[in-house]
Amino acid sequence: MVRRLLIGTALGFLALFLALPLAAVVTHALGDGVPAYLRALRDPDTLAAVRLTLLTAAIAVPLNLTFGLAAAWAITKFAFPGKQLLVALIDLPLTVSPVICGMAFVLLFGAQGWFGSWLSDHDLKVVFAVPGIVLATLFVTFPFVARELIPLMQEQGTEEEEAAVVLGASGWQTFRRVTLPNIKWGLLYGVIVCSARAMGEFGAVSVVSGHIRGVTNTVPLHVEILYNEYHLAAAFAAASLLALLALVTLAMQSLVEWQGRRRGEST
Amino acid sequence: MTIAVRDVSKWFGDFQALDGVSLEVPADELVALLGPSGSGKTTLLRIIAGLEAPDAGAILFHGEDATARHARDRRVGFVFQHYALFRHMSAFENVAFGLRVRPRPARPAEAEIRCRAHDLLRLVQLDGLAGRYPSELSGGQRQRVALARALAVEPSVLLLDEPFGSLDAKVRKELRRWLRRLHDEIHVTSVFVTHDQEEALEVADRVVVMNEGRVEQVGTPDDVYERPASEFVYRFLGDVNLFHGRLVRPHDVELALTPNGGSAIPAAVRHVRPRGAVVRLELDRLDESETIDAEVSRDRFLELALEKGDRVYVSPRGARLLDAHQ
Repeated sequence: MVRRLLIGTALGFLALFLALPLAAVVTHALGDGVPAYLRALRDPDTLAAVRLTLLTAAIAVPLNLTFGLAAAWAITKFAFPGKQLLVALIDLPLTVSPVICGMAFVLLFGAQGWFGSWLSDHDLKVVFAVPGIVLATLFVTFPFVARELIPLMQEQGTEEEEAAVVLGASGWQTFRRVTLPNIKWGLLYGVIVCSARAMGEFGAVSVVSGHIRGVTNTVPLHVEILYNEYHLAAAFAAASLLALLALVTLAMQSLVEWQGRRRGEST
Repeated sequence: MTIAVRDVSKWFGDFQALDGVSLEVPADELVALLGPSGSGKTTLLRIIAGLEAPDAGAILFHGEDATARHARDRRVGFVFQHYALFRHMSAFENVAFGLRVRPRPARPAEAEIRCRAHDLLRLVQLDGLAGRYPSELSGGQRQRVALARALAVEPSVLLLDEPFGSLDAKVRKELRRWLRRLHDEIHVTSVFVTHDQEEALEVADRVVVMNEGRVEQVGTPDDVYERPASEFVYRFLGDVNLFHGRLVRPHDVELALTPNGGSAIPAAVRHVRPRGAVVRLELDRLDESETIDAEVSRDRFLELALEKGDRVYVSPRGARLLDAHQ
């Protein structure tokens, strides 16, 4: 009885807060018919937004993959002073509102900011330009890979690495042949979550973007603009892309988790 | 190859794990580091392997200072307590690993790697399970894969950390006999860590008894058992009784039905526990509130016809005594 009640509550909650809104987005997107939907997606500004979103993710995800791996490695395989601080700092983007971190970048790199005059002297533009969007996205998404890996690597300990070193393996060989295969599913999972967030981020990017159509608009920002201008069908068409991304992410997560479990590695 | 440990000390924060330890391991011997947990034996083993750096002192391999040598350059075979097999590799790939990671000029050809790995798996009697993953092997099998993997790099020294620690009693006994035989076959200087005195005494050529980061005694199993250098060694290597300020092993306790004059102590039988060829007796002293453990042969026990509650007279057998508080 209790079990049924719990399952019922969970499913009802999911239907109300996930399935229903998703269905609403799709219905609205197709409200003016399929040709109108495709036309909306082919709009140059929408295409530019998609391109910028993909570019941002293509820069932010590999960088955060590298950073997350390095941080998780340092934290789990070595003891050093300031380790707790590093762990806390990794979580910072999750605890700070994205709007605040967007503001921080404006304060640093904006026209009135600390580095503002230096940047304008060298004819560099960060805020209200692509570099600002990439920086904000990097900041917001940097915990995902590291947080996925730290518990996994902690659980696995350092004995296999020690065994590899005693057998004569170099640092790179140890990483390539022992550590990486042991964490690959967790790493992939982290990359998927990181990519999804990089493409869907709104708050921080909104502050630094300046909303220049066709230039500094990512898909989430573009959706908002279209919506505010009452282009509802177009807004929901673009939104449906993000919803599709969410579904693909979900499917990939499940696949990776299933694979990871099958290979006896907990993700 | 000989190993020498010179005045090695190691701290972990405020805890001193090793306090000026010196030790010589002669070539081709099988040496046991024996001690309770926290005595520093595993730390010493890891320092010899190069997995920890000593805060003071030196490690010499074959008379040469190896203290600063990286673990990967020490040519040491290390068997970890929990085996540390590479979980995503088959038994075969685990064994071949040490050969595969060699720099290209020193790396044997693929055919030779395969041949050597199979030879080693045969040596540890696991050739039929070469394709199994660690999760598909039993504890004893994993242990043997770990050993084959360590031997694959033709180590000059073999180090084993609690090699039988996580196995059940029967497998343990089999494996330690097997390790002894293997050592007699392949002759490689070996050091193993254990907290089990029986294991150390049965397997090793030489036993190093450690306590609180120091070496208490080094000697043959016979030496440390029969001629313990300190009260700690005496107590650690078996049960002891205290008689008039002297320590006596249970099997050196003599029982009689009559006082026979002299210094025999009256006691009452509290428990009788037959253990195969010997019988263990727990006795309550009647002159003070102490218990005495005694071990007598089955024949002697039947001769005395003792039962729970009976009165006996206890005296220490003359020869092997050690003054307590020495």
